[in-house]
Amino acid sequence: MDDDSSGGPGAQWRVRGVSVEGYRHRRTGTPCQDSWLYTVSGPPEDSVTVLAVADGAGSRARSDEGSALAVQLAVECFTRRSAELPPTASGVRAALREAFLDVRDEFLRRTGDESNDFATTLTVAVLTPRWIGYLSVGDGFVVLRAGTVDGVPQFHLLPQPAAASEYSNETVFLTSTDAERWVRTACVRDPEVDGVLLSTDGLAQIALTWVDGQPHQPRASFVAAMLRTLDSPGDDPDEDDEALAVLLRSDKLTAVNADDKTLLRAVRP
Amino acid sequence: MRDNTHPMTVRVNQQASTLPYQYADIEIENNAQRLPLVLCLDTSHSMLGAPIASLNEALRDWTRELHDDVSLSYSVEVAVLTFGDAGVSAWQGPNLLPYNSPVSPFVPAHLFQPPQLKAAGVTLMAEALELSVQIVAARKAELRQLGLQFYRPQICLVTDGLPTDATGHPTDAWRRVVPVLTEEQRARRFRLYAIGVGGITDRGEEVLRAFAPTFNARLHGFPFRELLQMMSASANAEQRGAGDEVFEKIFSQFKTQRPAWES
Repeated sequence: MDDDSSGGPGAQWRVRGVSVEGYRHRRTGTPCQDSWLYTVSGPPEDSVTVLAVADGAGSRARSDEGSALAVQLAVECFTRRSAELPPTASGVRAALREAFLDVRDEFLRRTGDESNDFATTLTVAVLTPRWIGYLSVGDGFVVLRAGTVDGVPQFHLLPQPAAASEYSNETVFLTSTDAERWVRTACVRDPEVDGVLLSTDGLAQIALTWVDGQPHQPRASFVAAMLRTLDSPGDDPDEDDEALAVLLRSDKLTAVNADDKTLLRAVRP
Repeated sequence: MRDNTHPMTVRVNQQASTLPYQYADIEIENNAQRLPLVLCLDTSHSMLGAPIASLNEALRDWTRELHDDVSLSYSVEVAVLTFGDAGVSAWQGPNLLPYNSPVSPFVPAHLFQPPQLKAAGVTLMAEALELSVQIVAARKAELRQLGLQFYRPQICLVTDGLPTDATGHPTDAWRRVVPVLTEEQRARRFRLYAIGVGGITDRGEEVLRAFAPTFNARLHGFPFRELLQMMSASANAEQRGAGDEVFEKIFSQFKTQRPAWES
């Protein structure tokens, strides 16, 4: 699970992921419908890390399987498409879209007529030595940490897909008709990026500030704490994960959002 | 005194000591996604005696349950409107707001305390619904301004009678709000529940059906407790992003007065 080897500076990412079931699911014994997964491929000095989180639709019967399938397909397809390492930003974004279509088509093929029962969002980040690619459908989000101002780390929220309606609990799924129209991509070239955080909407109110019903920017204190504990891990990574899970399950966070919660974090020390 | 109308000032005040030491210093504002809920209640003369007593008791019980629900208590915002003695009244928790007050009647559920309602007067049902629509729109605008997200609001109309004018005479003036309500519901601005209780007549039921074609019911007696639990169950469904069919199922189970929302 851990990817803690220390390669050359800037090449190797330390990655950890945690999902916890929300308050409702805990009370009803329903499994967590969020999933996360990552893979690292290629030689150590030129590796590609693909991170994916997915949030199965609360109202759909098999969405826990749907989110698991989505992240599995995502790490496969995005790794494959990223292997070519397109040199231009538009090339990267085109490759991300191709990878998304690969995921979507395979997802629909495997789930067949019941695909709506597996409805899920999908948010992917691809970390390469030259660029960071991002693709999202639905309401997951990605925050980057890059550079400092007066010694204070700076955080950036990557652009999210347009809201599906005035109510933010309504979103677009991988399985939605025309999902490809709602996909948002970005290509970031900034060698200073040294922290990446992917999450599902269960933390949207906690990790982000909001303006006019739209996510505005990362809430620095929260995001900083999430990455800090990965920058300076304890002796036992599993204990660190457990501490994070206790935080995510706490009443304090539940009061703000009772949904399942997922954090997939990557830092390069 | 804390100003309940500004939820951004309300902080989640749980013991930080329950958090892991690495995260003990995290400050979290209560910027939970809000779910405005309007209880639009008939307190006209016909509710006198046991009905109003049972309504007050049910409101007290429901408030306790709401406080105990970690998720609903920081998300749901309750506004109580009544139509009876003083025409249409808006309450901010236990306190009656002055007529036409610009103060929002919505109170975060964890701070909500129910008013002590008295039965008297006429049934300005249409006017109460108009005010419900108005306060929901105003609250949405406030929430947007505060940078808070919200779920689709719920309005719950409860009555045992027919709409009247200010002199207590039955009137057809309620028909003017039907097109408004129809359009608002079509645009999904809120879910409207219209519940007839006690000895409501066929004509009374017809009015409720016109107001709320999807969620209307005529119930025996005064099952306020079940009614309020149904609103909580619907709030719950809203939070987990349930489809329309789930709300219809919760409602149909409520109509048959089986406690199936517990399943």
